Amino acid sequence: MAASRVLVVCWAALAALSVCTVVLGHAEASTQLSIAILLVAVGKAWLIADGFMEMRHAPRLWRRLMLSWAVVLAAGVGLTLVS
Amino acid sequence: MSTSPETATASQGYLPGDLAMWFFILAELSVFAILILTFAVTQALKPEMFSESRQLLSSPTGLAMTLSLLTAGLFAALAQEQVRQSRARCGAVFLLAALLAASVYVVLKLTEYRHLLASGLGLEHNTFFTLYWILTGFHFLHVLLGMLILGWLAERCRRGLYDANNRSGFESGVLYWHMVDLIWVVLFPLVYVLN
Repeated sequence: MAASRVLVVCWAALAALSVCTVVLGHAEASTQLSIAILLVAVGKAWLIADGFMEMRHAPRLWRRLMLSWAVVLAAGVGLTLVS
Repeated sequence: MSTSPETATASQGYLPGDLAMWFFILAELSVFAILILTFAVTQALKPEMFSESRQLLSSPTGLAMTLSLLTAGLFAALAQEQVRQSRARCGAVFLLAALLAASVYVVLKLTEYRHLLASGLGLEHNTFFTLYWILTGFHFLHVLLGMLILGWLAERCRRGLYDANNRSGFESGVLYWHMVDLIWVVLFPLVYVLN
């Protein structure tokens, strides 16, 4: 796939996931729902890192560092929600 | 390292921009991580206050801000593709589109700030709004700096100062904008949506 097309697909996925976040937020609050919202946020962060920041081509260490940022934060926020 | 993402191999990899920018990005992400976790921990201590205060924010407005930032990110990335093909002037046009999209975020954010201040929901209203102003205000300053960088890159593109062989500075500037986007996609659900 051409690089420009990859970028447009990433943007469309990010927009769809953003709408998904707000829709989930309007449903009745529950721990499972909050975890789903956090997982969507991680998915969006990965799309930005791999798609826009081109981490998919980067050395493994840098890619792991960037992808793990959102995971660590989501895990931290998730722990505060269930504790 | 390889000189382009297309020719990069899995073992070598291709890291766009300057290595110093990546260390700067890691430092920025660490600072925001501390702020975001502070928000989350305080929320766990005062769940009712955070839930009630969050109702005073508009999640559709937050969504519109998200879409404007992401659209700016798309245009910045498309500008980078143009520069890689030595079409810097086309890149400048995409950067102007990115700035236009980012301006929508600025207008929405300033409108939200004005509305909150008019409603008496300032920095000292309660703990939620103290953290809201610190977190979103700090991010807002990063957006403004990101727009300055994109504007500067656009001007240099217009003057034809970037091409396929001279693009590291350009990529570093665009990376800064993507970092601003990356932080927002985690910040947005935490501040506007999660209950």
